[in-house]
Amino acid sequence: MEENQKMCIGLFSGSIDKLTAAGIVMGGAVADDMDIDVYVLLQAARAFRKDVADDYSKLELAENPTYKDQFVKSMEGLNIKTWLQVFRELKAAGNIKFHICGTAGKVWDAHKMEDFVDIADDICGIGAYITDSQNADVHLFI
Amino acid sequence: MTQEELTTLEVTKSVDARGTSCPGPLLAAKKAMGEINSGDVLEVLSADEGTKKDIPKWATKKKHEYLGTVEESGFFKIFVKKG
Repeated sequence: MEENQKMCIGLFSGSIDKLTAAGIVMGGAVADDMDIDVYVLLQAARAFRKDVADDYSKLELAENPTYKDQFVKSMEGLNIKTWLQVFRELKAAGNIKFHICGTAGKVWDAHKMEDFVDIADDICGIGAYITDSQNADVHLFI
Repeated sequence: MTQEELTTLEVTKSVDARGTSCPGPLLAAKKAMGEINSGDVLEVLSADEGTKKDIPKWATKKKHEYLGTVEESGFFKIFVKKG
């Protein structure tokens, strides 16, 4: 059987807009049967905290921050789910693993798996990210 | 296929993805494809403009046969035969 293509994402951003974009890209990759490894880096590790992920009052836009309310309202109008809902649904539909950078977690006082949302698969070091990005067919840094 | 042939085509399964934005219709198509057999025809309803390009490209890559698109008022129907 033919092996699936691999996508590796270095997810640095913890902003609503970039997390949403990452979700859309991953949706395309899941439809294409790609295996996806997401490395949750510095700012994204904060967004993955249980007490932050679903709370848009604690997250901002990376660009045009003054348009946050308009952005969120527009997303709701278009029936686009929150980044966490999208990530969760894609994980159920495809083969996606979310690896939390241990150092990034510590920066945000999140040290254990139970500090993060349920879609997180493990806590790892940067070596795993470098190896997976070298072996991936597509490598993105968001 | 001609527009007339498409409108009279016997469809095995139809998925309504009009309430979703990209990549919703594409993911709906992928899911539905897993539920039909080779040679069956899938119809995807979408109101997302990007889907018109997305699904034909995806279908070809996945060795399905893109049969065509019919424009309706405010949405379109995309037909794909499972490979």
